[in-house]
Amino acid sequence: MTNDKTAEQNMLHRMIVDFTTNELAPLDMKIDQLGDYPDGLFQKVIDNGLLGMTLPRQYGGAGFDYVATAQAINAMAFGNASMAVTLEGHFKTLEQLLKYGQPELLEKYLPTATKRIFAFSQTESSGGSNPKGISTRAVKQGDNWVITGDKIMITNGGLAQVYCVLAKTEDDQMAVFLVDQDMPGFSFGKREDFIGLRGTPVGEIVMDHIKVPGYHLLGSIGQGLEIGNNAHDDARVLMGAVLAGIMQHELKIAVDYAKQRKALDTPLYELQTIQEKITDIAIAKQNTELLYQHGAELKVAGEPYSKVAAMAKSYGSRSAVSSGDKALQVLAGYGYSREYPIEHLIRDARAMEIAEGTVEKMNTEISLKEVNK
Amino acid sequence: MNNEIWVFVQLNGQNVEPTSLQLITKARDIAGDRPVVALVAETESMNVEATVKEYGPDKMVILKDDQFHNASDGEIADALDQVVTDLKPNSLLFPATVLGRSVAPRLQAKLKTGLTADCLDIYFDGDDLVQVKPTYGDDIMCEIICPDVRPQMATIRPNTFKAVKAATDTETVNYSFTFHPEANIEVVSETPVINSAANISDAKTVIALGRGANNEKVIAKAEKLAGKLGGMVGVSRPLTDNEGFSHENQIGQSGNTIAPDLLINFGISGAVQYAVGIENAKQIVSINTDAKAPIFDKSDYAFVGDADEFMSALLDQVR
Amino acid sequence: MKIVVCIKQVPNTDTVKIDPKTNNLVRSNVEGIINSFDRNAIEAALELRQQAGGTITLLSMGPDSYITSLRDGLAMGADSAILLSSRKFGGADTLATAYVLSEAIKKIGDVDLILFGRQSVDADTGQVGPIVAEDLQLPQVTFAESLELQDNNQLTGHRLLDNVVQEVKVKLPAVITVRSEMNSPRYETPLNIQKSFEKEITIWSENELAVDPTQIGQAGSPTVVKRIFSPEKAGRQTQMLPNNAKDAVAQLLADLNN
Repeated sequence: MTNDKTAEQNMLHRMIVDFTTNELAPLDMKIDQLGDYPDGLFQKVIDNGLLGMTLPRQYGGAGFDYVATAQAINAMAFGNASMAVTLEGHFKTLEQLLKYGQPELLEKYLPTATKRIFAFSQTESSGGSNPKGISTRAVKQGDNWVITGDKIMITNGGLAQVYCVLAKTEDDQMAVFLVDQDMPGFSFGKREDFIGLRGTPVGEIVMDHIKVPGYHLLGSIGQGLEIGNNAHDDARVLMGAVLAGIMQHELKIAVDYAKQRKALDTPLYELQTIQEKITDIAIAKQNTELLYQHGAELKVAGEPYSKVAAMAKSYGSRSAVSSGDKALQVLAGYGYSREYPIEHLIRDARAMEIAEGTVEKMNTEISLKEVNK
Repeated sequence: MNNEIWVFVQLNGQNVEPTSLQLITKARDIAGDRPVVALVAETESMNVEATVKEYGPDKMVILKDDQFHNASDGEIADALDQVVTDLKPNSLLFPATVLGRSVAPRLQAKLKTGLTADCLDIYFDGDDLVQVKPTYGDDIMCEIICPDVRPQMATIRPNTFKAVKAATDTETVNYSFTFHPEANIEVVSETPVINSAANISDAKTVIALGRGANNEKVIAKAEKLAGKLGGMVGVSRPLTDNEGFSHENQIGQSGNTIAPDLLINFGISGAVQYAVGIENAKQIVSINTDAKAPIFDKSDYAFVGDADEFMSALLDQVR
Repeated sequence: MKIVVCIKQVPNTDTVKIDPKTNNLVRSNVEGIINSFDRNAIEAALELRQQAGGTITLLSMGPDSYITSLRDGLAMGADSAILLSSRKFGGADTLATAYVLSEAIKKIGDVDLILFGRQSVDADTGQVGPIVAEDLQLPQVTFAESLELQDNNQLTGHRLLDNVVQEVKVKLPAVITVRSEMNSPRYETPLNIQKSFEKEITIWSENELAVDPTQIGQAGSPTVVKRIFSPEKAGRQTQMLPNNAKDAVAQLLADLNN
């Protein structure tokens, strides 16, 4: 693998660093306290064309590949993980549309994806990401489908205007359909009050006999699980990038403090116990970077990337939580204070031990891939 | 060609810009046997010669014309070009003020000579004026010379040197020249500004209050003092809990990093978290009752004593 | 309106180090970016183009690596870019740099407005704009913090001098140097970044310009760098003020006023 970035990637990266430094990082603490994005902030993300980063040029997007996009998400997460996850949710959904969507659907919807968030929803109250327990129904009516059901814990739920939902057909086959918030029968449910990534809205949608044209079906009937899994893989690569960004933030806080603070007359960074913590964080951050970049490169190259994507998120989420704990210990009392961002970085990282498949679920997937080689 | 060092005397309204006087003193210090000449361009009614003379130039070259009122950079450069081309000084120094940094390069272009910007030091090495200037922030210094062309020109950063009065017999030369108005530009008006910033990170003067200055009386006086100095009040972490202060006013690692020209700390002990936020302040004055407070190590001026008393004295004495 | 914005590429760092062996600045491995004040100049040009129509050409003198920042300016929205690049231009000081820029502006022809950032953040001179103004015999408004189009051939600008704001009216063509207070430069959007790579960047050497060989590069530069060094970082020398508050303040004010 290579770290050579193209000139386009370099410029995108610098632009995201500038945007993050000026617009997001100063609001990082505020977003956590507010539990939302301050007024106008998300509009800036739209106005600066960030929603169209991955979208092909023919639909009005910039057409950056997943390697460049993952690096951009990583740079953004260093300043604010919530907004990075909001973009992750949008990009992974667009990937499924591009891969499985019918031309008529793409022509109709993708040109709006530079201004509107698209979300992917699988989870229902009957059970986590496990598709077996899906009770959302899709009933065929002539050329149309009628969708009824309730989806919860959707990343960007409430903020997104377009949703790809996993449903069961009458003959118990899984399929994914696209619904639009403007369609009759669509309504929003409640927003979750989560402890971390508090800027990213996570919410519920209720579908009451929403009628969609036949071309709103992604892929074919029976392909729903495959699409769901593929969405997981695409999400996990980008979440690896988010986690590496969080760890970079944790590392910076710990290093800055260790350089300034003295214990008696010895600078903190000269103490071996502190050096150990800094080293652990630095190695975990570097490993997660290598994992998510490798995952993105495999995807771009058309190679299988599911396992590496799961590794990036499994390893990355656990490491970001434990690295946050180590950074907290370096800062001691200040680390434990809400005035410093470490406590919210730990809460942010914690979300990714659960979302897009729990660590346990991913570890099962990874180990089965090793066993069944 | 002669061996004179010329200093351009900048005027702000009716007054002499202080850097010009600092440069006369510095020029005298490095001159050896080179005459120091003050170059004044003023309107007929103005008379800054008396002030300039107090700092001991050997000669003053005076250009008088009413059109210097609201003159453009190009007009000033044109007038200076006439006298410099004619009298051929060895060196020519400008204050690195906005005006100095605008007029000097235009003149440089006419004279086809070198110009070094924003110098922090100058000295002679033989006939070469060695111009010491910072680059990449102030972390790296360059020594620049202009070996083959005269005059050697430099702009010098304000307040780098002290102006010291000196008694000398000063010769005064009224130089006759022609003021050439520039057709396509007009200075419409000049309005004085009071330096005020909306954000503490940009404030030029900051009055900072800490635990040792946490009472209503001192806070009220600090606001008044900030108003007088055109500055802002900042606080260390403990005071962010007071009504009227917030994170926006906080200085330090978890607050704002500031870089004012003048920072006055009242009752601040100087913990690391605070100190990192003030490293870029130019002048730091600290007032604390504890002579061992770490803030004093980070300060240019230290007063061990009561914050309220010092504040009152400042309010009395600052005009 | 035909606008030229002169930009400089600077290292993206505040900590440039000196190689202890060669005594040269270590610049390799540091990526180049547009000098931040020049971004304000580009933004000013974009806003004027929006009002008055016209074209924006970016102009820079430097090695081929400066294409990075020209490309960046194109991504902000400029129409075209010209790089003045030649070994013969190397080692130029402000006088020689401004001379080549001026000759390029003459070659571009019929330029109404030439914008610069107020100064570069590395060399910090702010001289190139005024020298170009002099070379082209144009009026200048330096350190402008606002710029308004009066009609198609006149601008009103405000310059922040040390303690006065000067209002200046200037007829075009003119040279303006821009302070960061004037505007907030826009971001390159991902799409505009991609589009910027579809635009051609023109490269001119001394062969394309009517330049006098004695006025370019090192030959045309009167100044010489004699020495580069890192100054010792002096800690603050703390001066104790008298114990009496009145005397202390008196001494402090006397010192500060000097």
